[in-house]
Amino acid sequence: MSNEITTRMGDGERVLFSAEEIREDIRVGTAQAAERAGIPALSAEEQEKLFDIIADPSRIVSVQPGEEVIVSDDGCSMSFYGGQDGGGVGAPLSRMQAVLTYERACGADTTSLGHSDYSFKPVKPIINFEANDYYNTSMVTTAPFFYGAQPNLGLYFQPDGPCPNAAELMPMGKIDAARQAQEEAAGHLTRDLVFVGSRLADVGLEGLNLDTSGSAGDADFLAALNAVARLKEKVPDLPILMGASGEFIIGMHGEVEYDGQRLAGLYPQDQVKVIETAGADIAGVAINTTTTESLPWNLSRSVTFMKAASEASNIPVHANVGMGVCGIPMMEQPPIDSVTRVSKALVQIGKADGL
Amino acid sequence: MNKEIFESAADAILRGDPEKAAEVARKGLGEGIDPLTLISDGFVPGINKVGDMFECGQLFLPELVKAANAMQRATDIVNAAIPEGEGQTRGRIIIGTVEGDVHDIGKTIVVSLMKANGFEVMDLGRDVSTDRFVEAAEQFNADIIGTSALLTTTMEGQRRLEYKLKETGLKKRFKTMVGGAPITQRWAKRIGADAFAENASEAVKQAKALLET
Repeated sequence: MSNEITTRMGDGERVLFSAEEIREDIRVGTAQAAERAGIPALSAEEQEKLFDIIADPSRIVSVQPGEEVIVSDDGCSMSFYGGQDGGGVGAPLSRMQAVLTYERACGADTTSLGHSDYSFKPVKPIINFEANDYYNTSMVTTAPFFYGAQPNLGLYFQPDGPCPNAAELMPMGKIDAARQAQEEAAGHLTRDLVFVGSRLADVGLEGLNLDTSGSAGDADFLAALNAVARLKEKVPDLPILMGASGEFIIGMHGEVEYDGQRLAGLYPQDQVKVIETAGADIAGVAINTTTTESLPWNLSRSVTFMKAASEASNIPVHANVGMGVCGIPMMEQPPIDSVTRVSKALVQIGKADGL
Repeated sequence: MNKEIFESAADAILRGDPEKAAEVARKGLGEGIDPLTLISDGFVPGINKVGDMFECGQLFLPELVKAANAMQRATDIVNAAIPEGEGQTRGRIIIGTVEGDVHDIGKTIVVSLMKANGFEVMDLGRDVSTDRFVEAAEQFNADIIGTSALLTTTMEGQRRLEYKLKETGLKKRFKTMVGGAPITQRWAKRIGADAFAENASEAVKQAKALLET
């Protein structure tokens, strides 16, 4: 094998590493993840498997036949009609046409619809239009068809929402007020998530994706968990995918709990447990890509976290393999060499049930 | 004795106690501890520990805010004790956090060490526009413009400064230094900055080296 292996940094830059350098980054990456989350590091054998995947001279790699997993869609159809500045290709397609193109031309396992803002709050005032669009499209799709968006607690703080702005209060040292504002905002968010989910369920929603839950911190994650639990009470047969937004839940509040479990600081193996407790059907794991470290280092960490989460969970766990997540470099158009290596490693070594 | 004060300093930051941090700062200076040593051996280990714990999800935003306030109180007191413009100055530096970025702690530590090492420093604070950097550098007759960015979304501000300096023909007049969590030597090279520093003490070394060239 050549001593010069092409790989990438977390910011996407192509770099040449020796085999020793790649092995070293894999070793350091898994050790760091294990120490942080209190989980086992990858074994020597698993590290060697990961090395083989990363060092494969082919531009793209794949799992063997029979090891394939499904892809739960995360707004792929938006990439057809979205502009380049939003990571799309600007094709002149309607939302329905984009969904059908993704399903029929790309052979998608699942498809999805979402508001272009990709948050739930803006959907509330247009729910009649959105439910109608969802219904019409669902009549012509065959694959499971999700409705997805991000909970996005940030939209409930002033000036965008009714609650005092926690991000302004916190630096002023008004910590109690900031926490109270987050709790209040979380209540509004839960109500909106339940409202939108219920209304879409009325027209036959096949799956709800609460994507990137917790992006605004632990109160955001709590709101999503509460919404999952309430929706499951209301519409027990509605499948729900709840995805996290980082390798640990950021403690913007620091003290909120779900089912007696403090949410701030939870790593994937514990995130999936609370998601499962809330009643979701699929848990999503997202591991931050560090731009200043290599793909071997980032992927080794991600696989380590993923494996622990998958072992801890009783429901399927899907890995988020989007831009800047789970080892994918932080690039608007993630490079195929990295995407396929990350996907293969997360499935074969991390035991991801889906992507 | 110094060890006890250093431990108290770090503890005050970890606990996020500004009153205690101020008290330790005054006590340390009163006992004749060199301001630079008081910062680097006392308060900096405390804030570094806070940063490490935050990064690992062991400490959360409210605690981080309290620790940052305590650090600010301590550095304000220690910085005021550092003689400025006394004797020969090593050089003049404008420093700030780029536009859209409100992170201040790391940059404030750099200011302390720069002053302690004989540089005259104008701290522009945080969320500083490109135009403000250039305007202040001209007014202050700076040798170096130092910019800090903590976010991948704000580090573009460092590139914008390089563009601005080239566009206005001022690139040769001012040396530029970049730092911050997502910043690397490769980024510095890519945007054309003259130096990159990973931490405050490295920033001092780089600044000295830049002014020797």
